[in-house]
Amino acid sequence: MSLKRRTWESLTLAASVAAMSMVVLTGCDTSAPAAPTKAPAAPASTQAASAAAQPAAKVSEVKIGIIMPLTGGTATIGNQGKAGSEVAVEEINAKGGIKSLGGAKMVLVPADTQGKPEVAATETERLALKENVSVIMGAYASGTTFPATEVSERLKVPWVVHSAVKDEITERGFKYVFRPCNKSMFDDKEMLSAVAYFKKETGKGPTNVALLYEGTDWGRSVGDGLKKQVDSYGLKIVMDESYTQGMSSFQSQILKIKSSGAEAVFLAQYTPDHMLFNKGAMENKLNLPYGLLSLGAGAEDPAFYEQMDPKSFAYMFVQEDWDISGPDKQPWIADASKKIQAKINYPINSYAAMGYSNMYIIADALERAASADREKLRDALSKTNITSGPPLIMGYTGIKFDETGQNTMSHGVISQNLNGKRTILFPVENKADPSAKPVWPVPNWEDRK
Amino acid sequence: MSPEILLSAAVDGLLIGGMYGAVAVGLSLIFGVLRVINFAHGSMLMIGMFLVYWLWVLFGLNPYLSAVVAAPVLFLLGFCLQNYVISPLFRRERSGVVEPLSVLLVTVGVGLILDNGALLFFGADTRSISLPFASETLNLGAVILNWSRVLAFATSVAMTGALYLLLAKTEMGRAIRAVSQHRDAAALCGLNVYRIFAITFGLGAATLGVAASFLMPFYYVQPTVGSVFGIKSFIVVVLGGIGSIPGALLGGMIIGLIESVGGQFVTATSAAIFSFLVFIVVLLVRPKGLFGKLEA
Repeated sequence: MSLKRRTWESLTLAASVAAMSMVVLTGCDTSAPAAPTKAPAAPASTQAASAAAQPAAKVSEVKIGIIMPLTGGTATIGNQGKAGSEVAVEEINAKGGIKSLGGAKMVLVPADTQGKPEVAATETERLALKENVSVIMGAYASGTTFPATEVSERLKVPWVVHSAVKDEITERGFKYVFRPCNKSMFDDKEMLSAVAYFKKETGKGPTNVALLYEGTDWGRSVGDGLKKQVDSYGLKIVMDESYTQGMSSFQSQILKIKSSGAEAVFLAQYTPDHMLFNKGAMENKLNLPYGLLSLGAGAEDPAFYEQMDPKSFAYMFVQEDWDISGPDKQPWIADASKKIQAKINYPINSYAAMGYSNMYIIADALERAASADREKLRDALSKTNITSGPPLIMGYTGIKFDETGQNTMSHGVISQNLNGKRTILFPVENKADPSAKPVWPVPNWEDRK
Repeated sequence: MSPEILLSAAVDGLLIGGMYGAVAVGLSLIFGVLRVINFAHGSMLMIGMFLVYWLWVLFGLNPYLSAVVAAPVLFLLGFCLQNYVISPLFRRERSGVVEPLSVLLVTVGVGLILDNGALLFFGADTRSISLPFASETLNLGAVILNWSRVLAFATSVAMTGALYLLLAKTEMGRAIRAVSQHRDAAALCGLNVYRIFAITFGLGAATLGVAASFLMPFYYVQPTVGSVFGIKSFIVVVLGGIGSIPGALLGGMIIGLIESVGGQFVTATSAAIFSFLVFIVVLLVRPKGLFGKLEA
């Protein structure tokens, strides 16, 4: 009896090991060496063949991969980016699609990174090899975009970056990656310049600062960028801390900031942690003379402002990735905002605007390439030179990629939350209300109404 | 490092540790009685938190009061889960065909269904509740305590105490303890073992309902939030001793203390290493945990 049982058991064990290893191996079957030689050759050659056969390439739709965090801690932002892209694609298709391709329609093929680097990489492979997209747009978080663009570069698929600011994304000598938005050094520089400007205008400003940032690529690139530049702005870092996303409490960090003697804290946090931190700062009455200086992300997410008590974010400075006065200044941006709101119940924000802008950039490149071929599209993207129109919804002065793929004409704005509204204060020429002045230093928690 | 800061950190650590304990207590109970590692524990907490959130948004019910609704609802969820999903596997196990390993996998599956169900019905957005008084603080000299955390700690202790008394003094508690000691002997004494299983699972889930109601005022909820507290619960349960109610609370407070005080000297991520180190040391030196009873 026992011998038979043991045989059964070892058979079952062997069977399950075999089954599991098959599952694991099939999961990894898009193995690196084999794929790149196979897949990209196929679309290129069929496109070349059809292009050679018929002068006007008969393409009825162009597939565009859109890879964002649709679930997980940054899901609200991922869905905002996707909604912006959907609105742009609908507008472009309604106006006749890509005219140089005979009215071909843009079709979005979505993928979810779940906020995880490994999922981003495998989803990129799926978009490139299975879905045969012409170009990929994404992926919000630097932590996911950095590895995913390595995959796309290897598979020779052009990639238009959404949001991810990690400097190295365009510093690897890659040919297929294009970033219309700021890189981290620019973001940090803008925030530091704003602080220096307020210091000059009022004669007051911080000397000791604290850094608190999330521990993946984005947070660390912000931290590194700040550390490299603070000396030239006369600031000293008295606390420098990273944390893992999904904290249960920021009490330790808040206590540390208090005891470090910092006069301001630079924050790089995604939505859930930013919410927890602001709540904690309010509850613990973290009194910093020059307040919270947020490098965005969570602080640019309308979900953050909707869910939080207004007292918790009053007087907070935010480095916004786009010109937040857009909807007020320009009717067509307000229109786009309404369309986005119809989709996701939030008005436009920097991430939805970026999703919108990137689709127009891709459409512009498709028009010039007159082809859905990845190589031709890549070449067209590298020659992008946009000085007006929907892609500039972000408020940039233009879109032109340098030899590393970085747009050199991007910039954000610095706002302060005054009376519940984010008011642009820097750069001075971007101020929506020219008379707006910062509340600097910020009042103590006890003195706020 | 000033003594006030250290004291503040210690108090903060104890407060949040109490909450880890409260979340872990249910897990400890379920594992102690049923020998089931409930991997859906974090997900059930998340469901409880969403319930508290919706009661607040739709009916304006104060989260602390919604424990009265959340606990019975989660009891029902746990009861049905045990009765209709897990017990059938127990019954089959008796015939020697199905290994108890399958129960573990079933709870993983349930956790996935709950997580993705929440994602489907509630969306991926992060939600939070803002109660005006919850941000008020209690100033004890140099130590500033936040009311919502103090209340959460007090509720954790009260709930753990109540659960302990339930197990120690009531008839049902005695039945549960009997079943945890020896399943077959308890059955021979005339106890309906499967019903006791279901009630125990329900009780474990009900504690999550209470925990959810005092977590919402200062935390947030989104479909993946269960893993934050869920994973810590496993450490707390093993540290405190499987099946020991006071052990779970004390284990939680120890972990909270280590994280909070450790976090003053190193980064939070590194401080977490200390709690895992303690976990490993306890497992090596005293495998049944600090207060665990060695089951037969």
